[in-house]
Amino acid sequence: MQSDVVVETQSLSKVYRDFWGRQKVRALKALDLEVRRGEIFGLLGPNGSGKTTTIKLILGLLFPTSGKALVFGKDATEVTKNERIGYLPEESYLYRFLNAEETLNFYGRLFNMPRAVRRQRVADLIEMVGLDWAKRRQLKEYSKGMVRRIGLAQALINDPELVVLDEPTTGLDPIGTRDMKDLILKLRDEGKTILMCSHLLADVQDVCDRIAILYQGELKEMGRVDALLSVRDVTEVRAAGLSALAQEELKQVIERNNGHLLNMGNPTTTLEELFLKIIHESEEHPGRRVRGVQEAQKD
Amino acid sequence: MVIDLNDVIPFFHWLPGALLYWLVIVAIVTGIATVVAWLVAAVRHGPIVAMRLTWRLLCGAVDDLVRMSPRRVAALAWLSIKESIRRRVVIVFIVFIVILSFAGWFLDPGSINPGRLYLSFVLTATSYLLLLLALFLSTLSLPADIKNRTLHTVVTKPVRASEIVLGRILGFAAVGTCLLVFMGVTCYVFVERGLSHTHQLTADDLRPLQSGPAGEPAGLQGYTSRANRHRHKVIIDPSGEGRLEMEQGHWHRLTVHKEGDKVSYQIGPPEGMLLARVPIYGKLSFRDRKGQVEAHGLNTGDEWTYRSYIEGGTLAAMVWKFQGVSEKDFPRGLPVEMTIGIFRTHKGNIEKGVPGSLAVRNPQTGEKVDVRIFEAKEYVTDVQFIPRQLHTADGQPRDLFRDLVDDKGEVEIWLSCVVPQQYFGAAQGDLYLRAGDASFPLNFAKGYLGIWLQMMLVIGLGVMFSTFLSGPVALMTTLGTLIGGLSHEFMFKLAMGQTYGGGPAESFIRMLTQDAVTVEMEPGLRTATAQTVDALTQFWMRLMAAVIPDFGHFSFADYVAYGFNISGDTALTFTCRAMAYLLPVFVAGYLCLKTREVAK
Repeated sequence: MQSDVVVETQSLSKVYRDFWGRQKVRALKALDLEVRRGEIFGLLGPNGSGKTTTIKLILGLLFPTSGKALVFGKDATEVTKNERIGYLPEESYLYRFLNAEETLNFYGRLFNMPRAVRRQRVADLIEMVGLDWAKRRQLKEYSKGMVRRIGLAQALINDPELVVLDEPTTGLDPIGTRDMKDLILKLRDEGKTILMCSHLLADVQDVCDRIAILYQGELKEMGRVDALLSVRDVTEVRAAGLSALAQEELKQVIERNNGHLLNMGNPTTTLEELFLKIIHESEEHPGRRVRGVQEAQKD
Repeated sequence: MVIDLNDVIPFFHWLPGALLYWLVIVAIVTGIATVVAWLVAAVRHGPIVAMRLTWRLLCGAVDDLVRMSPRRVAALAWLSIKESIRRRVVIVFIVFIVILSFAGWFLDPGSINPGRLYLSFVLTATSYLLLLLALFLSTLSLPADIKNRTLHTVVTKPVRASEIVLGRILGFAAVGTCLLVFMGVTCYVFVERGLSHTHQLTADDLRPLQSGPAGEPAGLQGYTSRANRHRHKVIIDPSGEGRLEMEQGHWHRLTVHKEGDKVSYQIGPPEGMLLARVPIYGKLSFRDRKGQVEAHGLNTGDEWTYRSYIEGGTLAAMVWKFQGVSEKDFPRGLPVEMTIGIFRTHKGNIEKGVPGSLAVRNPQTGEKVDVRIFEAKEYVTDVQFIPRQLHTADGQPRDLFRDLVDDKGEVEIWLSCVVPQQYFGAAQGDLYLRAGDASFPLNFAKGYLGIWLQMMLVIGLGVMFSTFLSGPVALMTTLGTLIGGLSHEFMFKLAMGQTYGGGPAESFIRMLTQDAVTVEMEPGLRTATAQTVDALTQFWMRLMAAVIPDFGHFSFADYVAYGFNISGDTALTFTCRAMAYLLPVFVAGYLCLKTREVAK
């Protein structure tokens, strides 16, 4: 039976030293965490908080000063664990002199994939990331978003069980960001485990099931996103089609029950949703100016 | 040319001893490396944990080396090839073509031996260009990948460090090999075309030789037209058969056409210029002026002790003992070629050679027969033929194989100088029996095998250094190793204290004080300090001399240029030596990459 824990760190610490062995930075201090099968786990924190160090320790790119990092129950420095991992680094560190097809073929060969399987997989992934039209162009001619997409494709070449994403939405435009988030959710729905780190709080909130917040190398908080974000002493009621009279009555009910009304009004949408709506309408009706929300309200 | 006869030991005689020696060295190095690894780990984690970590490292290393995937190695090699092409590696070939295009300006086809000059040039040019290319490719690639972090996306795949190192080595080797093949073919065409020439000969160029006493015709003699700044002497015997004499290391075939009274001459392309002579070497011993056996001859004061000398006009002689000489191999007699060094205590006519005596002796019966007196000249390879039928001093006939070669097929060739106060000198490889000629194109290809082996060593060392050093540092370290390896003999002598003028510290003081290297330094604190520093330096230099490969030894350029066949045994031996060196270099590179933090 497979273990429920995919990634586990036990008192994981990392100290960066200089050439003479003197301590430079204590990047991570006795981190204990578990990432469970099928969840999206987010590592949150400001720059220098130890998120990327944690990811690199888990991938075996760095060696721990003390403690342990286990992936699928194996030590993080064990090579065979990588057969079940896909990794998208912070910036897509790919060979710029290769084209998209060559890039995916190369990484496919590193997984010892037979030629026929590899070809099919490469074609599927190129289509999935929408780069079919540019698959024979060298990556040095790609835009940042295109490189990011091919980077994601290489991370999925082996159909991994664990996908490690380092700042997955960095450098993407709003559409790309939305696509990336949709893809993360889709991967989770396919049963894959996602470990991601980001300092873009909205992205993490949108997709993560559980998060850990790091600050100066220490774990400050860990748990389910909805549980961590819920404000226990505030009640939120959202209703549509209420008249002004009904709203007044609601206020009175709150007062009668010794409650304190914090706000009552029309909610605002997010800028991301507005942007996506405009793009969507523009694609449906090319050439027509999209009516903004304010204009619509005037009507 | 310096011939190291250790290089011509039959491969299967050499292999068992060499293999055992190699295994012992590998075992010692592995032991030392394990202890060092344990010590380093013990400092960080304590002795018990260090033992566990060292054991894990050793087991992991065996696993990584045994379970390498050919597909992954091929993928990584392919990446290196792609990267090399992207770096415009083909420019090296273009530079090479440009050098060859202008080479005609400074390569003189009228020199004493143009064949040797052309061959030395092309082999040296190829060697330097290719070694430089290998140096840059192998040292800069991996550090660039680490710096650009492209290696992160590779090592997070199920790729072993051993596969990364081997993939790099094979990829760069493939690029270098392709270039070497192109260069080799181009060079062969260049040499063939550069040396190709012919001469003209008409009946007007010939004059009759003086008739014999009975008035019989003695033939014709004359000179060909000039080409490549030389001409050949032509002798046509009374039967009408003609020949051209050797000039600038070659001759031409002459064909005489007769149509009625009209005679025309056709001269063929140069022959004997591009050779691959197959020598059979004997064992050299010396006889002193009283005829006593000595291992070495005299030193005439030359620092270069390759040749030993014998005094002329005495019983002193140089004796080569050959084995396995049979009538079947040499049915007409023994073709002997020799390059004799001459030390003249008085000049006389400097253009005239010094007479020497050539004799053959049966080592079993002790019977010795003088063959002839010949004239030895400096810098010239003298060709002598010992015929089947010989005569003793009192005119008794002797058959070479029946009377002078013993039952075991052994025969001695004696060489002595007949002029008092003149000296002959030789090394073991200076006199040999010419067993025949091998294919020159094949020998030329073997010459390129030597360059290929050197290139492989540079690539191996470059990749190994690049696993733990930054690009520029790895480049300089590999370059230093290459220079050290090319001057290995000198470094070894320096490390063993066999050079004049002491070690680095003593030499430095001599430079400041302008003392000659042969003068003893005055005893005192300064001298004592310098010699102590030198003793310490010599220990490290001895270590370096033992570790750094002798790059120069892998070059077969002299064999090709001087027209000697590179035997299959030599080629195989050196290929095995290079691979035996590359294997530990590869393992060292793997361990360095395995134990480093890629993302640091």
